[in-house]
Amino acid sequence: MNISNLLDCSVMSGGGASFGDKLADIGRELITIIINGLSVGGIYAMIALGYTMVYGIAKMLNFAHGDIIMVGAYAIYVVMLISNPIVAILCSIVVCILMGVLIEKVAYKPLRGASPLAVLITAIGVSYLLQSLAQIIFGSDPKFVVVYDFGAINILGVRIQVFTLVTLAVTVVVMVALTLFVKMTRIGRAMIAVSEDKGAAQLMGINVNNIITVTFAIGSSLAAVAGLFYLLKAPTVSNTLGAMPGIKAFTAAVIGGIGSIPGAMLGGLLLGFVECIAAKITVIAPYTDAIEFSILIIILLVRPTGFLGKKRREKV
Amino acid sequence: MIEQIKKIRWSHYIAYIVIGLLLLFFAFFGPTDRSTQFMLEKIAISIILAVSLSLVVGFLGELSLGHAGFMCVGAYLGGKASVILQSSLGKDSVWNLILSLLVGGLVAAICGVIIGIPALRLRGDYLAIVTLAFGEIVRSVFLNSSDSSFGGTLGLSTPRYDRNSLYIYAFVIVLITLFIVQNFIRSKHGRAVTAIRDNEIAARSTGINITKYKLVAFTISAFFAGIAGVLHSFSNYTVQSATFGYNYSIEILVMVVLGGMGNINGAIISATLITYLDTKLSTILTGDRAILQNLIYALVLILIVIYNNAPALKSFRERYNFKVLFNKMFSKKDPSHRADDAAKWDVVPTKIEMNEILSVDMKPQNLGSDKPQKGGDK
Amino acid sequence: MKFTKYLCLILSVVMCLGILAGCGSSSDSDNSYTAENTEFVIGVSGPLTGSAAMYGTAVKNSAELAIEEINAAGGLNGVKFKLEAYDDVNDATKIATNYSSMLEGGMQVSLGTVTTTPGLEFKNLAKEDNVFYLTPSASGDKIPGDGIGYQMCFADGNQGKVAAQYVNENYGGKTIGIFYKSDDAYSKGIFDQFKANLDSSIKVVEASFTDANATDFGSQIDTLKECTFIFMPIYYTPASLFMTQAKDIIAANGVYYGCDGFDGIDNIPGFDINSIPQEVTMLSHFNSKATEGMAKEFIDKYVKKFGAETLNQFGASAYDCVYAIYNAMKEYVDAGNTIDVTISASDLCDILSEKFADGYKVEKAVTGENITWESNGYVNKGAIKYVIKAAK
Repeated sequence: MNISNLLDCSVMSGGGASFGDKLADIGRELITIIINGLSVGGIYAMIALGYTMVYGIAKMLNFAHGDIIMVGAYAIYVVMLISNPIVAILCSIVVCILMGVLIEKVAYKPLRGASPLAVLITAIGVSYLLQSLAQIIFGSDPKFVVVYDFGAINILGVRIQVFTLVTLAVTVVVMVALTLFVKMTRIGRAMIAVSEDKGAAQLMGINVNNIITVTFAIGSSLAAVAGLFYLLKAPTVSNTLGAMPGIKAFTAAVIGGIGSIPGAMLGGLLLGFVECIAAKITVIAPYTDAIEFSILIIILLVRPTGFLGKKRREKV
Repeated sequence: MIEQIKKIRWSHYIAYIVIGLLLLFFAFFGPTDRSTQFMLEKIAISIILAVSLSLVVGFLGELSLGHAGFMCVGAYLGGKASVILQSSLGKDSVWNLILSLLVGGLVAAICGVIIGIPALRLRGDYLAIVTLAFGEIVRSVFLNSSDSSFGGTLGLSTPRYDRNSLYIYAFVIVLITLFIVQNFIRSKHGRAVTAIRDNEIAARSTGINITKYKLVAFTISAFFAGIAGVLHSFSNYTVQSATFGYNYSIEILVMVVLGGMGNINGAIISATLITYLDTKLSTILTGDRAILQNLIYALVLILIVIYNNAPALKSFRERYNFKVLFNKMFSKKDPSHRADDAAKWDVVPTKIEMNEILSVDMKPQNLGSDKPQKGGDK
Repeated sequence: MKFTKYLCLILSVVMCLGILAGCGSSSDSDNSYTAENTEFVIGVSGPLTGSAAMYGTAVKNSAELAIEEINAAGGLNGVKFKLEAYDDVNDATKIATNYSSMLEGGMQVSLGTVTTTPGLEFKNLAKEDNVFYLTPSASGDKIPGDGIGYQMCFADGNQGKVAAQYVNENYGGKTIGIFYKSDDAYSKGIFDQFKANLDSSIKVVEASFTDANATDFGSQIDTLKECTFIFMPIYYTPASLFMTQAKDIIAANGVYYGCDGFDGIDNIPGFDINSIPQEVTMLSHFNSKATEGMAKEFIDKYVKKFGAETLNQFGASAYDCVYAIYNAMKEYVDAGNTIDVTISASDLCDILSEKFADGYKVEKAVTGENITWESNGYVNKGAIKYVIKAAK
């Protein structure tokens, strides 16, 4: 379809540009879309990994996950005022872990064993709480903070922002590391046990509470990294930074299958591509969100537990 | 025996009586200041939303995060209908109100059927995200509509209904909603819906048509959300898609959860209280203190949910709750010693408890399965 | 026995509600709400929380600043002014509550809403009670009018038209880019008028975004990368992000052309506008880097009191609004009439709308000189093209 259009064009324009040139243009265009998609999708994937970890083990939708990203970004902003980027990133990870664990202990732990809906509502409450606290502390105006400028490189005539590659590399590394951690280490295997059956895990001598706390710590540190990615991409932080990315990453996690680590990656990248392609087409650009959500619905109708989600047999 | 029947009746109909008396009261000494009128309109809308969502979340046991989407459909379609009808029927005519309500409600109900279909295949959190997605899609469609159809970014301009009578009609609609939803729940259909919630497979095995009842529950729920949307369009000059984001759906869900799952009276009370507090807070905390609104809301939300649900606080809750205090005030009897459970008819054990009970009962069937899911399966 | 118990409960509930309702049910006579006033009450509804909070905060701060000055100078014949600022989170559904509480709290004149989104709701309610409002920044075309509503900022449609004229004169036959926010009434309003008034010889490349918190414009920049002139009817926060991300991609001699939403872009702490190679130009009524005149005085006072973070044209405009209302009232009093402190909103509206419709002129203000108003509520003042930063 595209190529026949292209032929028409070149014939009409009197062969001004050769077919090969046009093809190269299209190729460059495609590569740009892919790069942009990877860059947006990489961040979604990073957030979705956190969602999926927490969901897989604690069986709760942590609606406040997006706001941990905001906390991380603010932490970087504050430390950057007095110190260098490396210290800021480390501090932000520590702050996020502490925040995640604190939230878990204060708001979620008392509700262990209560209805999942009660936990969901508390998570929403925590999300509102973090947002309003951030506005009280930092004010309503967005803060601008440049962490580090990686610059850009040219590959085959396509301009690529270096941080895009960094984002992608870090996300892949984190995904592989998480998978290995869960499969190989004692704690990781304990996590699988807890996610399969809390009661049985406890009988086997696993401290379920500790495992859930560790999960929250890991999830929150991933959120801190996501916050860093956001700052690298767009050097601004406001108190609503994490709201929509949180929902989008949740969507990504569901598309990939909640609880599946590679699934989160896959879902995140898919959403990133869709978003970039939609933004390129003027007519449908305003409907970007609607298109993403429609894709979610269609995928779930075909595969009710997402791409890589486990099918659980229902038992009576 | 007769005593017992009387008791059942009273607890069932207390909501009708309170609202009915309120209506009588309004009819003779209605408030004339508009802030009270606006608040009453909002409370009525919240009650309708909470009661209708309670049908899906509390009784069918499916988590829906897209209730505001149905409301959005109702508000836009009903609002558009009233814009068209007002030229022939007049802005404040009751027929305009009734016809617009029907249009908005029916279109929302059709959307309910559409979203009910994935609900047949999906469960739990997967369904939750699909309903959230539905709400956002609806919102996006209306947001990007042309200025002449649904007003685009500025929203649809609708005629505001006469404020001296709208809140009374709104409460009449609350009564109708209650009547239909309560009767549905207490009918054999309603029992089928609760059976699906408690155990879908067991319900199916007793011959309940799961498809039909899930769709019916979603449709009724969506219909009344649409009605609430139409009321919203009548109580505002503009209908804007931004209003109906997922945050609004969550707000409605909060009303249902705080009221107690599967407890219609509770949903009414919490919808009333939350809307009242929200309005009061936004008028008390102005200027520099406006940010405290969200802070207070968040803190209260967390504390109430933890207090109401934390397993560790169970004994504390049983000693100090409204029912006990109420009984202490009016009689010396503690309700837990009373033989009848009729007053608690609506409060049914949660899904988890039911699952566990059933899984113990039907243990032999589980022997062949691969991975046990619950501690009770062992 | 049981029956009486329930009856007791019901009756007590009804009585409680009756008392609640009874409190407010005073008569609807004209100045019943303002009879207790000891100061003139100005009401405003704006986003004090949420993603647009900085605009509402700027308006609230600046209006307070103006009122403080007026009060320090003795008010209107000794009667002071007071500001009631309500939070609407940029959401039209909050307006009914805010408006009615302000009105019942004694509001006599209003600054309307800060943003366009909830503005129509406010307009319709104000029309019911004949309440005068002069909005600092709700720039939608439909916001003013009906003889009671006026704007201090330029209407969106006019901004779009003026920008289109500029482009027609300078970029005929060329390709230009537009970057706008498709779900925002302000941005979409300017965009629609801009496109409608553009010469057909000009080719347009469009890119848009939706999410209020969108921070990543990679795809949009890619769409616009060939354009050397990009029209951006958006607010300064997303604009600054776009520029940061696009600084090496868009041609270095390119021009970013914005409307009054751009103001404040050179004032974001941490964002160095000089790191952007392209030219940044805006068509506005206020420049937050002004070095002379009333604008300079306002900036100094504002920064001293509230800091530079929330300094923008919203605030400057609100400051002017308060003074415009005050001066109109003062002129009326100076002409030998009296305005009682308990004057009803409706009576004050009659006085003010007559003045505003009848060639009332603000000679010097922060956001312009010789400001007058058209009968449809649009403002008449000079729009100045500020080159915030020239191309390198």
